[in-house]
Amino acid sequence: MTDNPIIKGQLVCVALNDAEQFDAMQTTFNEAPYKSAPTQPVLYFKPRNTWSTEGAEIPWATMDDQPAESMVVGASLVVVFGQECCRVNPEEALNYAAGYTLVHDFSLPETSYYRPDIKGKCLDGSAPIGATVVPATAIENLQALTVTTTVNGTVVNTMPLARTVRSVAELISTISHIMTLQPGDGIAVAFPGQRAVVKPGDKVTSEVADQLLLNNSLSQ
Amino acid sequence: MKHARVRYNGTELAVSVEADGQLKSKVDGQLINENDVEWLCPVENPGTIFALGLNYADHARELAFEPPKEPLVFLKGINTLSGHKQPAYRPDNIEFQHYECELVAVIGKTGKNIPREQAMDYIAGYTVCNDFAIRDYLENYYRPNLRVKSRDGLMPIGPWVIDKEDVGDISNLKVTTHVNGELTQEGTTADIIFDVPFLVEYLSSIMTLQPGDMIATGTPEGLKDMQPGDHVVCEIEKVGALTTYIVSEQQFYGDKY
Repeated sequence: MTDNPIIKGQLVCVALNDAEQFDAMQTTFNEAPYKSAPTQPVLYFKPRNTWSTEGAEIPWATMDDQPAESMVVGASLVVVFGQECCRVNPEEALNYAAGYTLVHDFSLPETSYYRPDIKGKCLDGSAPIGATVVPATAIENLQALTVTTTVNGTVVNTMPLARTVRSVAELISTISHIMTLQPGDGIAVAFPGQRAVVKPGDKVTSEVADQLLLNNSLSQ
Repeated sequence: MKHARVRYNGTELAVSVEADGQLKSKVDGQLINENDVEWLCPVENPGTIFALGLNYADHARELAFEPPKEPLVFLKGINTLSGHKQPAYRPDNIEFQHYECELVAVIGKTGKNIPREQAMDYIAGYTVCNDFAIRDYLENYYRPNLRVKSRDGLMPIGPWVIDKEDVGDISNLKVTTHVNGELTQEGTTADIIFDVPFLVEYLSSIMTLQPGDMIATGTPEGLKDMQPGDHVVCEIEKVGALTTYIVSEQQFYGDKY
């Protein structure tokens, strides 16, 4: 609930967009309760109580008044909108991005994708958002970017945008046909399929080399 | 008191709704005729919208589900909100879109870990929503997914927020929907599985609730397909009656289609 300077409207996140995870889950997708692979982007909200900032300490989750057994983190590039974006084609979609920032999605482990994961994903302060937006014009080849995450200095995840099921442009187009995006809205486009396990007190840093940086820590 | 928001002479205005149906400006007390305004979402700074799936014992049976042991909660985008007497669209090339008449509790005070006994202190009032769903778009991932439940303008809400004191007990209110004048949905909040105090306790144990957050409490049985040209009235006894006009996707989006 710490006021962040960038996301003011809605933060839409895309799950299962890591192609490695998506391919590895094919058997699972065909079993109950899913029964078949998703044909559309799998989306969830990080609501306003989750929004936080660069440098923020993330509260360790509690479950039934007890500290949660485990938490995980995934980092994603966030498309930040600076103008209304309604029903756009993939070919023009990137023109609607004002720029890009990073988000850390702290949550309980992703054990199921069947029902909306309110308990896991809606924890207070669990979506710190980068302090800066890199203007879209400063990025030459978006799909060539990689988000790298370290925990206490050790690399735990690298997520190249080249490894996604759907490109940023495709996602903007599809989502803009469901919901009109407004200035101050954001889409987190690609989290690594294997979320990194974190412990109380851990320091989590994600970056896009020379462009974006996001530092957070977990409370004790 | 009933609190509404309208667009009048091009400006957004907070009004109260008087006993005779006239609207009274909260700025200067001017009385305004309902026919001269466009109704807006009555919640001024809408926050997180929670909605309940399968929360009426009769509706869960209708959809052939075991009533859930834990609430099925999903979030809706604020892009879904619109007001009383506004158009809502039927997407092109679908088979089944239905209304869902729901009692909405509006949060009036910030709180975390609110015990059930104190839950009503955190409710400002109530309104009615029509939580449209497009069943063609259901997939078994974060179901009901955003494509089904977070579409532009497909959660009309209003006409007003009525103070909780003016409604009193909400545990047995009649819930009805009329399509083109014909009664198609009839139920009572007595069939709600997880009630408002439970939901406030449950949600606030997970996250902080804030003024402007809303909890749409689910719908009873009686679902019917909607077509452009239909008009649908969702009514909750003592709270209000919300009218929506169904249009095509092209009519709704106009130049942006």
